[in-house]
Amino acid sequence: MRRISNTAIGAVTVIALCSGAWLLGTDTGAQAPPQPSAAQARTGKGGEPPAAPALPPSPPDRIRIPSIRVDAPLMGLALTPSGSLDVPPAAQKNLAGWYEAGTTPGERGTAVVAGHVDNSRGPAVFYDLGALQKGSRIEVARRDGSTALFAVDAVEVYDARHFPDAKVYGAAARPELRVITCGGGYSRSTGYKGNVVVFAHLTGSR
Amino acid sequence: MRRTARLLTGTALAVAAAGLLTAPVYAAGGASLEVFPSSAVPGGQVTVNAAGCAGGTAAGDAGSVGAGVFTLAPSAHENEAIGQFRVPSSAQPGTYEIVAKCAEGGRPIKGDLTVAPAEARGQAPRGSVKTGVGGALGPDPVQTAAGVAALAVAAAGGTWLLHRRARGDGI
Repeated sequence: MRRISNTAIGAVTVIALCSGAWLLGTDTGAQAPPQPSAAQARTGKGGEPPAAPALPPSPPDRIRIPSIRVDAPLMGLALTPSGSLDVPPAAQKNLAGWYEAGTTPGERGTAVVAGHVDNSRGPAVFYDLGALQKGSRIEVARRDGSTALFAVDAVEVYDARHFPDAKVYGAAARPELRVITCGGGYSRSTGYKGNVVVFAHLTGSR
Repeated sequence: MRRTARLLTGTALAVAAAGLLTAPVYAAGGASLEVFPSSAVPGGQVTVNAAGCAGGTAAGDAGSVGAGVFTLAPSAHENEAIGQFRVPSSAQPGTYEIVAKCAEGGRPIKGDLTVAPAEARGQAPRGSVKTGVGGALGPDPVQTAAGVAALAVAAAGGTWLLHRRARGDGI
């Protein structure tokens, strides 16, 4: 009498074969992050909708984008030596940052928020940013206790080699917000090829 | 005279560049006064947070920069009072002490405000932002390893069975 029957070995073999095939077969990784469609681009006609009156300056604490389930703390960001906006530490996947030397969100001008689309372990805070649509709501909780409410005007994707600095970072006459993450295709050698940029304006506060 | 003025402007610029980040200033007794932005331009609005005011209200004094007195009201955070004042357009570049006194008494808490030349406000960023490494793409290494391990088990089991059959043990 053998200690282990052929049936047992056979069963384990079949189960291992099936689960191995299933594990490798479903292992395509997550999909590439969503990218904005042409319908979300700036139209450029009809002029800008009027924004709500500007709020007094106050540093922001959190950003919330209900339609893509974003609720993340904001840290202050400075510039890198090359003049580009620095980014939050990649290891913390639910953390975004804002450009501290610039406009505070809700104040008149262009406030800038940036966060990672992914890190080495998978999707991060702004993974779904490219799926935002015109009119989506963005909320920024501020240290003075108020929450600035923004509506999305456009979602664009720009190649890093031809980044439109003036459009993205340029001064605005009304309270505006930019939310930036990586996007625009990926190459194994150079990483993401550009940025997804969300343009929004202040609609009110609470 | 002109050299002095240039020296002063240079110093103010350097201080402004160094002080662009919010710098909480801590005073004795655990109370602190945060001045935001710590570097403001003439005509700009400044927000002052006083932490550690048990009552949540405080009296602020920005007379040093010519903005007079202001009131700090309870904020959304417990024991924290918040107030605002506007830097006069005529304010000269330099560092000024902002003082707040909690309503329930105690020592005044202080923070520094740097007034930068009007053109020194944070320069806009340039270029794209490095906000991803591609970790959301490509296979998950843990799942790949698990799949390979399962297939190895299957191969070992299959080999064992074939081995028994070759020995004539019958299946």
